[in-house]
Amino acid sequence: MKDNNRKSKRNQTGSNDELVNLVNNVNRKEDLDLNRRAFLKATAGASVALGLATIPFSVHAMIGDFEDKENRVGIVKLSELPKGSSITFNYPTDHDPALLVHTKSGELKAYNSACTHLMCPVFYEKEEEVLLCPCHKGYFELNNGQPLAGPPQRELPLIETEVTNGIVYAVDRRYRHG
Amino acid sequence: MGKKICWAIIFLTVALNVVMLQWAIESYLGHEFEKLYQFSIVALLSSFIALIAFLKWRRLEYSQ
Ligand code: FES
Repeated sequence: MKDNNRKSKRNQTGSNDELVNLVNNVNRKEDLDLNRRAFLKATAGASVALGLATIPFSVHAMIGDFEDKENRVGIVKLSELPKGSSITFNYPTDHDPALLVHTKSGELKAYNSACTHLMCPVFYEKEEEVLLCPCHKGYFELNNGQPLAGPPQRELPLIETEVTNGIVYAVDRRYRHG
Repeated sequence: MGKKICWAIIFLTVALNVVMLQWAIESYLGHEFEKLYQFSIVALLSSFIALIAFLKWRRLEYSQ
């Protein structure tokens, strides 16, 4: 009688009796950690973290030096770039690869050549007159740099060119020239 | 404001913040800083709302 509310030996933790596995909650820790309350706490935390994650971009945009200053760079002699060919150069700095294309119709088109998907270099595809990123088959319109197909979502930054005395110069760069 | 509503608000802010972060990165890469600041502000506001909703939920949940 007096033992009524005491666990019998085989039900105690550490008992060798198999029955203990049926009455002890072996996943007690998980049950406490992965419950509804903890889930909501984690979700609220994630929401705040996602919101805060936009700050570094804004801060960098505010303090960063993104001024595309007037910056004239000679690229190539026009006579050395026949129609339907292209040449790579760097603009505005040595770390920004770019591509100058002399189209079959005789126009000059220049873009930064880092694909707007994951920065692979894009190439001039002569037959179809498009810019092709081989990494994930991204296609860009040659005439305006807009993405045509594949993963890229943004246009290639446009580089404005000028021809003076038979030499092609890069003079300015424009993002989002849609 | 019941607990259910707090849950709903928190989930909505998660969805909103995911979108805002994506757009903020897009506009950062596209050098559209005006838009970037706007998205950032929206994201911070919704984080704040999430925090308020969470505190509210906590008060309801842990009061008898
Ligand atoms: S890097 Fe160009 S398509 Fe992925």
